[in-house]
Amino acid sequence: MNNFYKKRLSIVIFIFIPIIFLWHPNWLGFLRIQPYWPLFWLLPWSMINRSINGAILGLFLGLILDSITLDSNFTQIPGLILCGVWFGRIKMHSDLLVGHFRHGLICAFGSFLCGTLYFLQILFNNFSDNNFLLFIPSVQNILAEVFLTGLFAPLICSQLLRFFKSFMGEKHDNKFS
Amino acid sequence: MLDIRRISTNRWWHKKNSWIFFGIFLFLLFIRISKGSIYKDFYYFISKPFWPGQFQKEVILKSIEQESLIKVDLLKKDNIRLREILSLQESSNDDNISAAVISRKTGSWWRQIILNKGSRDGVEIGSTVVGPGGLLGRVKNTSLFTSSVSLLTSPESKLGVWVDRIQINGLLVGSGDDHPNLIIYSKNADIKVGDFVSSSPASTLLPPNIPIGIVKSVEEPFQAKKMAKVLLLAKPQVIDWVQILKLKLNE
Repeated sequence: MNNFYKKRLSIVIFIFIPIIFLWHPNWLGFLRIQPYWPLFWLLPWSMINRSINGAILGLFLGLILDSITLDSNFTQIPGLILCGVWFGRIKMHSDLLVGHFRHGLICAFGSFLCGTLYFLQILFNNFSDNNFLLFIPSVQNILAEVFLTGLFAPLICSQLLRFFKSFMGEKHDNKFS
Repeated sequence: MLDIRRISTNRWWHKKNSWIFFGIFLFLLFIRISKGSIYKDFYYFISKPFWPGQFQKEVILKSIEQESLIKVDLLKKDNIRLREILSLQESSNDDNISAAVISRKTGSWWRQIILNKGSRDGVEIGSTVVGPGGLLGRVKNTSLFTSSVSLLTSPESKLGVWVDRIQINGLLVGSGDDHPNLIIYSKNADIKVGDFVSSSPASTLLPPNIPIGIVKSVEEPFQAKKMAKVLLLAKPQVIDWVQILKLKLNE
């Protein structure tokens, strides 16, 4: 039974991403903005399972997150797919400490990419009304999100990577035995 | 012969994993099309033990008193105007639904709250949601047990509003920060800091005279438009209980 849950840990955590996204714990936020939660899962998953799987799971995450947010004109899918592909090309670092901080930096860049793509969609959508200048102050959303994602990633991503790696290792051992 | 067999067994449709991924993709597509109602209903059940209690009483009473005074003043003026003009859209306070906020996203790009009343309780898409202080937003999506409200600060929110002092209609546009923008399509509009903004009596989307906010700052006119930042009276980040005003169908 224990083994059953261990093997499906990545899927269980995947299911809980939208729940955390909806929960939006304020005590973890900065300027009432949250870290970009999906990247914490996507980075370790893609690093182990490579780019194609990263892109597919990025698409899946985007589909779920788009369905629970109300903005029907904008989508998170392109950012998450690009992050999935990019994360899949990143090699694991042998030095543990450097690896931790590397995760923070990568997730911060990923968050910046996703935030910028979303912001550009909003600007593009409002371009014809000449109202797009109104949205410039909301750049603070991107900056706060980048900061928080970079701050929490070394803690969360490293743990998840360790879990996923140990599970994958067992899976490969079973395959070859 | 052996080679042909080997190639044919390596086709993607012979791989179990491809079909599993395809199945997951179809399932997620279903979730996307159903607007995540399964997720929201699941969230409804797991968040039930943590729903807000009655501890906000004092804050709510103070805000309601402030709201009522402004509302009475507006309603008096509106009544006189309605006697002069024949008829305008009526507001109904009889069929309100009280609901608790079970999820709130008041920062970042996604500005929405999820309430614990859904289509089962008679909530309809387009219903107006008010909290202590005034208007919060409109119901944009309902599931069986929950309803999702798009806040006035959401980048997708656009509403017709009324500036009472200068008797002019404007457009309130959410911009992804805490202060939505008021656009008045008149360069010479005499809008000032402190002007009160309410829902427009001419609006077909909202009941009239629901308090919305106060003008916080006014920008220089740009392309025959005047813009101002509005400080909202209702604070979605602290409100735990709201009222859903039922849609009144015009017969």
